[in-house]
Amino acid sequence: MTMDEPVIANVATIVGGGLCVSSEDGQKVHDKIIPLLREGRKVALSFEGVETVISAFLNAAVGQLYGEFPEDRIRELLTVRDISTDDIAIMKRVVENAKRYFANKQTYDEAWKGVVGDDEE
Amino acid sequence: MIYALPSISNTKSGFDALALLAKSSSSLKFSDLEVDFKNCSFFAANMAAVLGAVLGRIELAFNTVRIVNVPEKVQTILRKNEFLKGFDFETLSDSNGTTLPFRRIQLDDTTRFDGYIRRHVRGKGIPIMSEALSSVFKRKLYEVFENAAIHSNSEMGVCCCGQYFPNKQCLDITIADAGIGIRQNVRRHLHNNDISSLDALRWALQEGHSTKTGPHPGGLGLQFLKEFIQKNGGRIRIASRLGYYIFYRGNETFSKLAADLPGTAVTISINTADTTEYCLNSEVSADEIF
Repeated sequence: MTMDEPVIANVATIVGGGLCVSSEDGQKVHDKIIPLLREGRKVALSFEGVETVISAFLNAAVGQLYGEFPEDRIRELLTVRDISTDDIAIMKRVVENAKRYFANKQTYDEAWKGVVGDDEE
Repeated sequence: MIYALPSISNTKSGFDALALLAKSSSSLKFSDLEVDFKNCSFFAANMAAVLGAVLGRIELAFNTVRIVNVPEKVQTILRKNEFLKGFDFETLSDSNGTTLPFRRIQLDDTTRFDGYIRRHVRGKGIPIMSEALSSVFKRKLYEVFENAAIHSNSEMGVCCCGQYFPNKQCLDITIADAGIGIRQNVRRHLHNNDISSLDALRWALQEGHSTKTGPHPGGLGLQFLKEFIQKNGGRIRIASRLGYYIFYRGNETFSKLAADLPGTAVTISINTADTTEYCLNSEVSADEIF
């Protein structure tokens, strides 16, 4: 295998099944691919055998990469395959949300910090 | 202590009544609680999840809980959905197959939650939903469970329970924890102890807002749930601490509960006759995600 060929990381294999519904399992995927990405290896995340994916899983698996690498580096190194159109739509929202989150991390919550509530007992 | 429980409907007044029970027994320790159902002429089956969470928290404070004087009609509902099984009532067979039984599931037991969803959300008397609706609905339930797993710190896990109404073609399911509630999470996250339960709910319901600590972005689960319910024509109810929220036909209503309800309870009501094509039909290809 040359450095140009992506390493295929099978999500279902890493998680141990087709159910990708926890943040903890998403973290496992993240932790598995992060050393490869740091080495500059290309990674293809394969969703073959994945039955259900939720955003919390993808936030941990993929979303947090935007706090660790520049967008163009992720685009260069990471690809996705064997994924349903439904899951592409969720993944895209997760990625857009992550980009926004890391771009505005400081200011994201500022507006709410001075809010004073009046309804508690 | 004896507490007379009124009727519990699937509305704000039902949550109010259960919040008042939680408040009345909040300082009870090493003691007994007798929940007297003599004034309870109706009990919405899915609300057993909220009662289960309230009582579970009381039991964890080393109290013994008993349930007495349950009218026959209410007994039928709560024995069929197995809620009363934990209080020494015999279970009644759910001959219509319309019940999603009461279960208490620990937060790290995703496998058991998965088993519950697979077994009870489709099948039995609930075969009407299309495959697409069933699949997208299950995904939303996993999101709600995972929200509880990440944020609630609920020692007793979550309680879930639901009911299908064939005539109304409607399914109500409630997932309730007895953890710290949305307010506590948001207060910690924003370092602002003056945030009210209602403002905390408003904050948490905005896309991209998440109190998850660490490097993960978040805050899409509730947004996805709202988008699904909007298409489906169903309803979301969230009760957390003193905050109560309803989402129905695009309208959001926030109001204050009668008392502090520990944790967070989410009720999803879906229209099972919905034939919407739920394929998300992403306009982007896999190559354009990043």
